[in-house]
Amino acid sequence: MNENADARVLRARGLRKAYGKGEGLVRAVDGVSMDVGRGETVAVMGPSGCGKSTLLHLLGGLDRPTGGDVWLAGQDLGRLGERNLSRLRRDAIGFVFQAFHLMDELTAVENVELPALLAGRSPRAARRRAVELLERVGLADRAGFLPAALSGGQRQRVAIARALVSDPLVVLADEPTGNLDSEATVEVLRLFESLHVAGHTLVIVTHDSRIAATADRLIGMRDGAFVDETRLTGGTTGNLGALAGLEG
Amino acid sequence: MGKIVLIWRLAARDLRHRPAQAALLLLAVTAATAVLALGLALHGVTSQPYQQTRAATRGPDVVAQLGGPFQGPHGPGQPGSASQVPTEVRTLVHSSGVTGHSGPYPVASALLRVRGMTVAVEAEGRDQAPASVDQPKLTAGSWVRPGGVVIERTFAGALGVGVGDRVTLNGRLFTVAGIAVTAASPPFPNLCYQPGGGCVFDLPAKLSHDPIGLAWVIRADARTLAAAAAAPVSYFLNLRLSHPAAARAFVSHVSGVADLTAWQDIAAADGLLVLDEQQVLSPGALLAALLAVASVAVLAGGRMAENTRRIGLLKAAGATPGLVTVVLLAENVVLALAAAAIGLVVGRLAAPSITNPGVGLVGAPGAPALTLSIAGEVVAVAVATALAGTVVPAIRAARTSTVSALADGARRPRRGAVLISVSRRLPVPLLLGLRLVARRPGRALLSAASIAVTATAIVAILAFHTTVNLRIARVAHGLGDPVFTRDEQIMQVLTVVLVALAVLNVVVTAWATVQDTRHTSALARALGASPPQIGAAISAAQLIPALPGALLGIPLGIGLFAVASRGGIVTIPPAWWLAAAVLGILAAVDLLASVPARIGARRPPGEILQAENA
Amino acid sequence: MQQEVVLALLAKEPSHGYELRARLRQALGPLGEAMNDGQIYVILGRLEKAGLVVAEQAAGLPDRPDRKVYALTASGQERVAGWLTEVSWPKPDLAEFHLKLVAAAAAGLADPLAIVDAQRRELLRRLRDAQRAAMAEPDRSAAGLLLEGIVLRLQADLRWLEACERNWTPRRDRS
Repeated sequence: MNENADARVLRARGLRKAYGKGEGLVRAVDGVSMDVGRGETVAVMGPSGCGKSTLLHLLGGLDRPTGGDVWLAGQDLGRLGERNLSRLRRDAIGFVFQAFHLMDELTAVENVELPALLAGRSPRAARRRAVELLERVGLADRAGFLPAALSGGQRQRVAIARALVSDPLVVLADEPTGNLDSEATVEVLRLFESLHVAGHTLVIVTHDSRIAATADRLIGMRDGAFVDETRLTGGTTGNLGALAGLEG
Repeated sequence: MGKIVLIWRLAARDLRHRPAQAALLLLAVTAATAVLALGLALHGVTSQPYQQTRAATRGPDVVAQLGGPFQGPHGPGQPGSASQVPTEVRTLVHSSGVTGHSGPYPVASALLRVRGMTVAVEAEGRDQAPASVDQPKLTAGSWVRPGGVVIERTFAGALGVGVGDRVTLNGRLFTVAGIAVTAASPPFPNLCYQPGGGCVFDLPAKLSHDPIGLAWVIRADARTLAAAAAAPVSYFLNLRLSHPAAARAFVSHVSGVADLTAWQDIAAADGLLVLDEQQVLSPGALLAALLAVASVAVLAGGRMAENTRRIGLLKAAGATPGLVTVVLLAENVVLALAAAAIGLVVGRLAAPSITNPGVGLVGAPGAPALTLSIAGEVVAVAVATALAGTVVPAIRAARTSTVSALADGARRPRRGAVLISVSRRLPVPLLLGLRLVARRPGRALLSAASIAVTATAIVAILAFHTTVNLRIARVAHGLGDPVFTRDEQIMQVLTVVLVALAVLNVVVTAWATVQDTRHTSALARALGASPPQIGAAISAAQLIPALPGALLGIPLGIGLFAVASRGGIVTIPPAWWLAAAVLGILAAVDLLASVPARIGARRPPGEILQAENA
Repeated sequence: MQQEVVLALLAKEPSHGYELRARLRQALGPLGEAMNDGQIYVILGRLEKAGLVVAEQAAGLPDRPDRKVYALTASGQERVAGWLTEVSWPKPDLAEFHLKLVAAAAAGLADPLAIVDAQRRELLRRLRDAQRAAMAEPDRSAAGLLLEGIVLRLQADLRWLEACERNWTPRRDRS
């Protein structure tokens, strides 16, 4: 592999996913290609039903495409069997879901340590890592709480901690603030910002422009295909004061 | 009225929506009701064939044994001498209430040898002319003649002899002239039955505990046989009473004169053949019913979980909790009624082959096996089974507050903190499996209970086989015991039914677990567990409750056999049989659980998780 | 900057011009950086002319505006009271953009979609900056609240632009 490939954590070429057939054929993802570099934050924005969640599942190996390829750290996901795919998910991908998907009967720290236990790490090491990550997301004092006793924003932060436990190559977030109110959104926002600063690679799918604004690159999606791309970094234009109504 | 229509419509739509589960429920309850129908049908069978035999052979109301050592109701009497016999006969024949008699017929105890087998027989000496009371009815061949012996039908079947075969009695060669049935004695091997116990004849010691057969010879031959054996001759005297129903009263009234047996007691002894089958079928039916209840409970519980959201909608639309419960119960009751109907039909079709009351008696019971009361009982049990399995989930569902039903869609899993922390140290399949068990302790308990019931049945059958082997080993030289042969056949049928129900139970529980844990499994896979690990976890979740259940089945099974054999001999099966049974059950559970697990693991986790979002 | 704002700031107590400036800066946070130093004195001058404010020279100091102490007059206080109860809200300026699109489409000068996309990109960048600035502020600071308001307005505008995009997209057949 050439050097460029090393810098690209995630690559997709001509991804396609279709459901049904004949009259009922739905092209959820219709020929998507993208590259994500190490340390980049990429946001995919689009209206509901445009296929962005499906795209994320394809990138994370949670679903098999009907066409096209995905490479993660140089490995072709299409060639991996289920067992190796799970291993890859375990070690290299952290997933954050809109519905949080925490186990109701496990406390916060038990939820966070679960991927580590599934990976075969010792219970002590897994617990240590989980506590460390809960501190990172600012929930060290809630480690022993059940999800039912946590607010929406706190639950999502636990989920993010869980996604980080195996130190993944890329964190995939599917509408992370979809179920949150504005205050909780800001909590999660701050966390993503800090992850970005710390050098994590993030791919976030969202219809919330606030979350999208944390990205380096913003890709617009409609009807299963990418329609435009905006680079958000690189200098401010315009006077914030003017936005507030202050004349210069 | 409108409410009933509404209930009907909701119930019907729900059943159509889930045809597979409805079919499984139907199957489980049908199996149980079929076994139950058979068991109940057997109840009505016992006395009737005897009645037919009695009518066909002009059966006696009282049978007297004279001249040999006998046991009267007041204790052992004096060995009578030949000279006393005429006196006793006269006394009996002239007793009040006696309207007719036949005999006295001399009876010799003899040893019959054929094809290397040696069996003790009572050889009754008869005239060629038909008797007025107790003329045995021929089912093959012809009546006694010099050198010709007629053998009782069940006995002939056990010996494997037919008309024209040659046998020796006390060393003398005889030809089998015919096969016949009688109502004056219970068929082989219960011949030695006496109300007070004990056996009449003076036999060589080594055969004294073995069954004795009945045969008829010409009078002269009987005397010759007795002389050859150098044993005292005893006599049978058959009496007819003016009031046959009062036979037992007659016996106790006239006791002390001779050893008397009323026809009702002979009928009861006949029933022993069929009674043993009943001893097998009744506990069998109970076990089948228990397994059916377990299946229904799991199916109903699973469907309740799916339906909780629908229930929430029903309640939000104004249905009272009572109505909701009724709808849920109505579905299962309808299925139970259908199952009862099918079970009755199956029972009716299977009854003739089971209830053939032993070859010693004339006729087969036929249709009367299924009376209206039997049908009523079966239906009641079927409905009770459905209700028992459904009532707890239904009430819980009805009591769930509307808001939480709409929001959750499922019962909140329990948190088993101890199990969770213990499972952390275990390998992945056990980690997940143990946590799955902790989520639904009720279902684990039900699982354990149904495996316990299955293991109980299997261990009981093993105990039966061990005991039977020992007993047959004691019966003379290869002679089969028709009672146990029949029992064996019934056991086999019952085993098949119970094992089928148990398989159904395991598959249903595993399937319910897979459905219930669809979300958890998908999430675990998203977090990195591989499909084989998930499959192993679901298997583990079935095996963890199955182990104590299987082990519990051992003492329960032996206990059940002890109860069913009514104080007869119970031999505990050898340890390696029991170990093999337990391991076999566990292996079967593992295999059966892996099938739904594998099917459930085919869907990509992304699809399942996304569906949860909707 | 409304004159009434300065009047209201004086309602607490009479102040020097530079004190007022400092308080404004604190309330506006980073947005206050852009404020012109001299602007406040211009406003104070106008208010004095209108009779809403009276200036007092500190004794013994030369006649410079920044040495004066300003205080409210009675009519100034009335004006403040009235302003506080007003419920008029700053006008949005959507009409201009809307007409821009209509005119461009009518005259065939430019593709309305391209205009909308360019505007969206610009607003997204501003949103990013405002959000960054808002998160840099300590919790519950007054300036942070102001920045939050900017962010939310931008978000609302972006939503409207998405609606514009949907509306101006020519209908095409779904294949």
